[in-house]
Amino acid sequence: MMLNVDGLGHRYGTERALDDVSFGLDTGELVAVLGPSGCGKTTLVQAIAGHLTPTAGRVRLRGHDVTGQPPERRAVGLVFQQSTLYPHMTVGENVAYGLGPQGVDPDEHEAIVDEYLDLVNLADRRTAYPNELSGGQQRRAELARALAPQPDLLVLDEPLSALDRALRVQLRGEIARIQRETGVTTLFVTHDQQEAMELADRLVVMHGGAVAAVGPPRRLYESPPTPFVASFLGRSTELPATIAATEPLRLAVGGDELTLPDAGRTPPVGASVRCLFRPHGLSIRPPEDADAELSGTVRRVADLGRRYDVTVETDDGTALVVERRREPPAVGEAVAVAVDAGSVVAFTAAGEPIDAA
Amino acid sequence: MSLARRAWAGGAARRPELLVPAALGGLLLLYFALPFAAFLARVGSTPILAQLSAPGAQQAIRHSLLTAPVSTAIATIFGVPLAYVLARQSFPGKRLVEGLVVLPLVVPPVVGGAMILTAVGRFTPLGSAAASVGIPLTGSLIGVVLAQTFVAAPFVIITARAGFGAIDERLEQASRSLGYGPLSTFRNVSLPLARGSIAAGMVLTFARAMGEFGATMMVAYNPRTIPTQIWVDFIGGGIDAILPLALALFGLTLLVVAAIQRLGRLPTVVER
Repeated sequence: MMLNVDGLGHRYGTERALDDVSFGLDTGELVAVLGPSGCGKTTLVQAIAGHLTPTAGRVRLRGHDVTGQPPERRAVGLVFQQSTLYPHMTVGENVAYGLGPQGVDPDEHEAIVDEYLDLVNLADRRTAYPNELSGGQQRRAELARALAPQPDLLVLDEPLSALDRALRVQLRGEIARIQRETGVTTLFVTHDQQEAMELADRLVVMHGGAVAAVGPPRRLYESPPTPFVASFLGRSTELPATIAATEPLRLAVGGDELTLPDAGRTPPVGASVRCLFRPHGLSIRPPEDADAELSGTVRRVADLGRRYDVTVETDDGTALVVERRREPPAVGEAVAVAVDAGSVVAFTAAGEPIDAA
Repeated sequence: MSLARRAWAGGAARRPELLVPAALGGLLLLYFALPFAAFLARVGSTPILAQLSAPGAQQAIRHSLLTAPVSTAIATIFGVPLAYVLARQSFPGKRLVEGLVVLPLVVPPVVGGAMILTAVGRFTPLGSAAASVGIPLTGSLIGVVLAQTFVAAPFVIITARAGFGAIDERLEQASRSLGYGPLSTFRNVSLPLARGSIAAGMVLTFARAMGEFGATMMVAYNPRTIPTQIWVDFIGGGIDAILPLALALFGLTLLVVAAIQRLGRLPTVVER
């Protein structure tokens, strides 16, 4: 294990920012820490990089306990959301900055700087000052500076969040390539679930200062362990339901019934459950369609170019978002909604997943 | 760029909303310039160089040029680290410390001088102990430096603090994570980036120290600096008698201020 975070906790005064956070990173792995703003991501980054001493728990790098070590003795490369390039140094000087303390022979600095500027496609901007770079170039320069001393761990704290969308998507690909080429163990911190799922080998989903789930993106998306993870990874609409029958598992949702794949353990008949519907698992049918499980009225149609997001209000007043590729129904039209049972995620009232068998 | 240029070319005609503030500010500027011009207008009738070469004037210039840089250096060496701590750390009693920093600005200099006398005057334990080993804290150049530092040091502290405060702390964190300890980080990142503010603070402190009169008069009426000599000349000979030294004070201060500002703007040499 390159990084081991064990029972990390932190309080700002009486406010708990981190609560018993534990996870690990294997050498060469890219793990994304994903969570909404204020979930403790930045505190976690600061504790791992050594800019903050956690009130509980240990941080280990390559098996060594570094919890009490200052940042300069950790070999953790750090890239923040905002540029921290030094405005009084050129791009080349910025990249070379971290080589001094490593004891790298000054004669070799030039070649190393060239190598890393090449890696981030910035070789021709070596003598420029940071304020002469575009936002995307600043990100690249910062990556090169963080990577040049060959850190054990690269921590990227919301590195793309301040950029516009097109640049964000482009740099996402760049980061994936750079990580592949250097093989550096990377912790990528973001609030953007799409970004996290696209880049990461594994996700650490955080909620309220605690770890809500750890696992590969697809597994967490398909069988989320908590309603929070289900709602945070991908879009979904939550509807209350009750168990109508257990074999096969049938749920009563908004006056209609829905058959789910058999579940391992199910609450008794009559128990209330929380159902999350993914927009792509729902389809709009004519109102009299016998196979459609739900019915309602179209309230809103959003044209997203590639598809439509159709908001259907069910008979009991809940709004469902349905994805549609073809011509959408008109607002006010009565429709039925068919549910792909495999895409439905259900939880008990206590938030325990009702797993598909 | 083009927008800015267009606005400039159009002048006030295109920014009518700036007319009133510009007029108000202009009145104040006029009030600054008028006494200045009237004072300088009397120069023609006075033998400036002859008066400046008088022994009293020469000595005063020498004393001022000796004490003001020393006071500025002391204020900078001790004030800049304090400014950094105030910009970066909150601690119990910080408000009190901040109050203490501006205290010399709030207290009239002559009262400040009286306070210094009560602390280190000839008949206080500190003053008499120092005097007994040959270091008189009052009525000496050391006394002048004490008075100037008391009155002028807050300027460099306050300005440098604003400069450090404007540096994103993450720039320092990045330096730490790149392998530099706190001291190297301060030297490589914080200090160069706050350089302009520190220079501006030194300029203010130096100018204030050069012109210091109230506290200096209380603590060390003798040996005379330019301001105390100006006072003595004024009592004896009126306005025209002080013209030469006033001009000298003005010229010297301007010279040093220009030099410090130039230094502050120098590009930083980064260790390679």
